Amino acid sequence: MTDTAHQAVPAALAQTTLASAFSESPTPMVLTEVRGGAHPIVWANAAFLALTGYAWHELEGRNCRMLQGPLTDRETVARISAAVAEGRSFEAELVNYRKDGTSFWNGMTLSPVRDATGAVTHYYSAQADMTGKHSLEVAMTLANIDLERRVSEQTADLRATLEQKTALLHEVDHRVKNNLQVISSLMLLKARRTPEGEARDALNGMAERIGALSTVHRMLYSAGDVTRFDLREFADDFLGDLVAGLDGERTAVSAAIDSVAVSAAMAAPLALMLHELATNAVRHAFPDNRAGRVSITARRRDGALHMLIEDDGVGLAAAIPNPAGFGRSLVEMVVRQLRGTIAWSETTPGTRVEISVPLDAISLREAADTTAEELPQWAK
Amino acid sequence: MGQVTAGVGGAAPCLRILVVEDEVLIALELECLLEDLGHVTVGVAGSSQEAIALGLSTHPDVALVDIHLIDGPTGVAVARALSADPRTTVVFMTANAKRIPDDFAGAVGVIAKPYSERVVAGALRYVAECRAGHAASLEGLDGFRLAADGWERLHP
Repeated sequence: MTDTAHQAVPAALAQTTLASAFSESPTPMVLTEVRGGAHPIVWANAAFLALTGYAWHELEGRNCRMLQGPLTDRETVARISAAVAEGRSFEAELVNYRKDGTSFWNGMTLSPVRDATGAVTHYYSAQADMTGKHSLEVAMTLANIDLERRVSEQTADLRATLEQKTALLHEVDHRVKNNLQVISSLMLLKARRTPEGEARDALNGMAERIGALSTVHRMLYSAGDVTRFDLREFADDFLGDLVAGLDGERTAVSAAIDSVAVSAAMAAPLALMLHELATNAVRHAFPDNRAGRVSITARRRDGALHMLIEDDGVGLAAAIPNPAGFGRSLVEMVVRQLRGTIAWSETTPGTRVEISVPLDAISLREAADTTAEELPQWAK
Repeated sequence: MGQVTAGVGGAAPCLRILVVEDEVLIALELECLLEDLGHVTVGVAGSSQEAIALGLSTHPDVALVDIHLIDGPTGVAVARALSADPRTTVVFMTANAKRIPDDFAGAVGVIAKPYSERVVAGALRYVAECRAGHAASLEGLDGFRLAADGWERLHP
């Protein structure tokens, strides 16, 4: 209530309309007179009587301190007193007591009323019962504490469950690796005890295929990302094994494989396919100490993987049919599983195998760096 | 990716090797492989007690140690005990590399299972060359990982 607003009220209204408006307002109001600092109550409306529970004659001439009690905040009271002593207006929330001893949160505004000379003669105060708001705040605080406790309990539960699952995953991973090693050892043991010939070659061939699948498993579960697998990383490892097994310097293997991240679902079939094609070329294209070279490229283009395996060996027709035959049908099965296409052709001299395999959604998710790096000559 | 120099057999120095592995099939096949590579298996142990006893009685050049043995994940303790002997180089050989402590318990590295014969051959060749004071390369040996202080251990 500013001086300008006060002066804007027409004189005729002041006595009748304003007095009756204030008296009947649902907002509790009280007026005190400064009177040398004693501040006796000189007027209060019906709403104020209803809020405090006192009758007018019990309030008249008393100081508002009569509403305070043990839970009233002394600091707030001191700040109110300071503001009043300086003639300032003030807003506060304070615990007050009704006549029947019950307490309530009193949200009050205090403002000085000045006479024509500008001296403060009265203090006017409007009140509001803030008990509801305060109990709501308390309830909110309690609810928050409870919520925080429950969230932290749940988080702890989830963390424990996650740790359990992680431990289980490690255990399963360990079991799979160990079993792959046992299977591979079994094959190799039997091969060692089998006389040289077709049966031993078959057992060794199987051990190698298991080895290729084992490499896939190791790479999938060691990189941290169990959903994807880098074909080049596999090719590096696998071709290293293949070349190490070659005798003499007559076969040169060169490879240019794009760093293609493929999904876990595609990893094993692709690895098996690469293994069969490369092994077939190296083992069967160059009989009778024939020298030659094998080149392998794998490139990612238009959402598909394009592989080309070429050798300058004796060609399909001339190769020993039996072992190569199994490898060839294995490759065709895998290509069909991957919904790809395969074309075998005779080159002069040698064999050329062209394969296109569409990459699945997971493999396509990240367009990895697809530049092929020329690998060094795979020659012993 | 560099030149691959590893090969099965060849002129690798002969090592006396203790195999600590509880899976008999793996142990048996590994023995055959070591023999093919020109090494000598001085013993096979399936439990930590056996392993430590065999270490004390045979003083092997190299111990290939699995983490999981008959008596539990005791391979780490075995590695610690065997590597206390300065004559023995310990290499873990496990499908459970996550259980290897940060200090590798005195081992110089780990061969990941499932392993290929080439990696076993390459890792042993590397160890043999280092022990003989020769320069050696780990290039192309993805399945063999050296401990943080593995090189220092191999070059005392």
